[in-house]
Amino acid sequence: MPTPESPRSDLLQGTLDVLILKVVTLGPIHGYAIAQRLQQISRDVLQVQQGSLYPALHRLEKRGWVRAEWAASETGRDARFYTLTREGRRQLEDQRANWMRLSTAVTAVLNTE
Amino acid sequence: MKWLRRRDPRVRDELRYHRDRMIEDYVAEGMDRGEAERRAFLEFGNVAHLEEAVRDARGRWWDDFRLDLRYALRTLRRSPGFSLAAILLLALGIGANAGIFSVINAVMLRPLAVSEPERLILVSRLAPDDRPLAVPFPFFERLRDTLQSVSGITAIGTAQQTVVVEGEDELVDTDHVSGSYFDVLGVRPVAGRLLSPADDVVAPEAPAAVISDGYWQRRFGRDPGAIGKAIQVRDRVFTIVGVTPPAFQSFRPDRTPAVMLPLQLMLRDDERNGLGWNNFVVIARLEPGATVAQVNAEVQTLYGHLVQLQAEREREKDRPAILRQRAAATAAPDGFNPFRYDYGRSLIVLMGSVGLVLLLACVNLAGLLLARAVARQREIAIRLAIGAGRGRLVRQLLTESLVLAAIGGAGGLLIAGRLAARLISVILSGRDVAISVAPDWRVAAFTAAIAVAACLVAGLVPALTAVRSTVSPALKTGSARRSGRLGKALVVAQLAISMVLLVGAALFIATLVKLHAVDRGFDAGGVLVATVRTARPYSAARIPLVKDALLERLKAVPGVQSASAMQVLPVGGGLWARDVQVEGYRFRDDESETVGFNAVAPAYFATLGTPLLAGREFDARDTMASPKVAIVNARFAQYFFGAVPAIGRHIASAGVTYEIVGVASDAKYQGLRDAIIKTMYIPWTQRAGDPQPSAFNYVIRSAAGDPRRFVPDLRRVVNGADPALRLRTARSYDDVIDESIRTERIMATLGGVFGLLALIVAAIGIFGLLAFQVARRTNELGVRIALGAGRASLVGLVLRDVAIMVGGGVAVGSVVAAMTGGIARSLLFDLTPTDPLVFAAAAGALTLTALVAAWLPARRAANIDPLVALRHE
Repeated sequence: MPTPESPRSDLLQGTLDVLILKVVTLGPIHGYAIAQRLQQISRDVLQVQQGSLYPALHRLEKRGWVRAEWAASETGRDARFYTLTREGRRQLEDQRANWMRLSTAVTAVLNTE
Repeated sequence: MKWLRRRDPRVRDELRYHRDRMIEDYVAEGMDRGEAERRAFLEFGNVAHLEEAVRDARGRWWDDFRLDLRYALRTLRRSPGFSLAAILLLALGIGANAGIFSVINAVMLRPLAVSEPERLILVSRLAPDDRPLAVPFPFFERLRDTLQSVSGITAIGTAQQTVVVEGEDELVDTDHVSGSYFDVLGVRPVAGRLLSPADDVVAPEAPAAVISDGYWQRRFGRDPGAIGKAIQVRDRVFTIVGVTPPAFQSFRPDRTPAVMLPLQLMLRDDERNGLGWNNFVVIARLEPGATVAQVNAEVQTLYGHLVQLQAEREREKDRPAILRQRAAATAAPDGFNPFRYDYGRSLIVLMGSVGLVLLLACVNLAGLLLARAVARQREIAIRLAIGAGRGRLVRQLLTESLVLAAIGGAGGLLIAGRLAARLISVILSGRDVAISVAPDWRVAAFTAAIAVAACLVAGLVPALTAVRSTVSPALKTGSARRSGRLGKALVVAQLAISMVLLVGAALFIATLVKLHAVDRGFDAGGVLVATVRTARPYSAARIPLVKDALLERLKAVPGVQSASAMQVLPVGGGLWARDVQVEGYRFRDDESETVGFNAVAPAYFATLGTPLLAGREFDARDTMASPKVAIVNARFAQYFFGAVPAIGRHIASAGVTYEIVGVASDAKYQGLRDAIIKTMYIPWTQRAGDPQPSAFNYVIRSAAGDPRRFVPDLRRVVNGADPALRLRTARSYDDVIDESIRTERIMATLGGVFGLLALIVAAIGIFGLLAFQVARRTNELGVRIALGAGRASLVGLVLRDVAIMVGGGVAVGSVVAAMTGGIARSLLFDLTPTDPLVFAAAAGALTLTALVAAWLPARRAANIDPLVALRHE
């Protein structure tokens, strides 16, 4: 079982997880909206494949970082809505800080003459 | 099955929602619907594929298990006959195991309801078989004053006696406890206070007593006013100062005393100082950080000194026996627990037997599952062909046996409750003790564990065999032959297990039969045994009058042929032994001077039906003042006097010389199992110190009919002899004897039930296998008949199979039974665990059963119509 605590071996997956967590902070939100939102915020740079989005969502749910519930969506049809748990929020903070540190360091290295 | 679906994450619905939203968005952007659907499909990919990926991410175990469970329930519901049989089989097997375990748990594993029972230590003498024995009071004093590795130590004596509260007398159990008792055990009162060292002195200002919660409830209705009331025991008056909590009974699990009294006040002087009065149980609490081994080392030293001292006071020839005594300190979370030694071995043998019963049930079930697996070969082959993993399929098939085991286990718990309650009531019969066998976490864990084990034993081999069958039809026959061989092996295993169980059953039943048939030397039929108690002690002058009055009244009851009394009831478990000197006989140095001893009333031998060989019975002329006389049994006369007449010879015991006036024929004394011992009888009037009437057992021989018909009137008769006399117990002598062989009866009954169960299960196993084989070989058998084979030779074909299987089963079972029988040796009577007759009987029963089970399939084989058979398939 890959763990996000080891960013070296699982950078990409860990990155997707933190992005999902960030989007889920917006409140109860279903998978389709998460994909839309990621695409919008990143100005179409990040295209998330459903093939990785849903396994990631369910993995996060199993770890207890997000909670899922079936409820009526904006179209009236039932959808599975995700919300962040307390533990998820903590994880998001940790991983965000991690990412910031890492990206600052990478940027610094790349900017040296 | 709704709960199975409720936790389903509905992955497919979620993915479909996503896809549909995509399509709608494309349509909203102006794409036509067909195009939108194509785009979405390209982008989204295969929903089923993605669903699998999501399920993988979730962890599949639980999901798969749920699916398997649903599938298993559906399959089992489709064959209700098989399911019912399997569940019944498992419920019986698991139930028997959980039931016996419940009893073991209740009488051997459960600690006392005290604080930190794991730190309790029992200091005891040890019998040759390591059973703990009580110790003398001076030993306790030494332990108390010198032991370093214990934080507290207490001594307890026990009695059953009449207590008087507010003028009403009642016979109750009393514990006589040293002052530290409640402190050592860590028991807190529910009302008032408990006894303390200040209460346990020779002359306290106000003697204090503590009562149990049960007695408080029964006698006072939990009235707080009970505290402060007076309670009279013997000739002493105590004040009730407190009540023990309901969970706490006593320092030993087989006692529920009503009253606890300070030990110093109840000690007799001979007990206080004598090293031979082994009447006290000593329990200590381990000092934190100390070990049992440390305490034991200290105990060895102290006890060594004590026996040395005791030996010096005794005669030379008695010293080796005294010095041979052993003592030990042992961990005792269950306190002083005689059950462990009375029933430990029987319970272990029973546990082994029910283990075999369960194994038998599992092997039988494995046979059934195997047959089903063969029948489902096509389905399994298809699954394998379309890519199902073998491991996955095995799991699915195992889920089926797990469901069976789970339902069987639940049913088993019901059976277990009944079995355990029944068994414990037989064990406790005649005792005023309640032991709960309600299942606790230990029983639940045990039941779950054996249910899972049963599932694996029954399900694993059939499941593995099933998935070994391959897609290629060319190999199919090979696998069928293999599963056929496996089926036979399973039947042989069942026969072997049945053989072991049957040998056990035969051993225990034979033991009981032999015990019943053994010559007792007296005739218990038609005799009633009554014991009495006295509301308050009689003065020395009144004792003989009351005893005589009671015996006269008993004789006068209409329908009574004769009545008598004795101090120790033969075959009642008690033994009174004394050292004697015999006129004209010189004991060798290594020869025991001990003989059985008893004090009996007139007409004793006539009432019990023991013939007198010479001389006379005791009668009215033998009084306290008349010359001391004795009657001896034939063994005694033969041993000491040989062919010379015993009448007129003299025996001395405890400083009194008796003249022999009669010789009686031999009779059993302590128990049916014990050999005849040299025994002498003296008149009850000439017993030193003339004991209270309650010290005797009264026996009444009915002129005709069941002696228990006297019981309703007996209370009045006893009370009529003297107002302070009470009837205590009245049982037929046959019941008393039955009770003395309670363990043997339990073993014979349960052994017989298990043996019968084994026969039934083995018969089902053989029948199932043969019926299946005959059905499958219909073709072949038809060809044989068509080619001219006789019907008899076809029956022979089937029976040869049976003979080989029975032969194998009996052989394997006999070896196992012979190897494990030793553990039951001490439970047998007049039999060795490898008695050839017993083995022959077991083998005979098994063979007969196998033949009966084989008869129907064999007849079917013989009656096959070749034309029909050839058209078969």
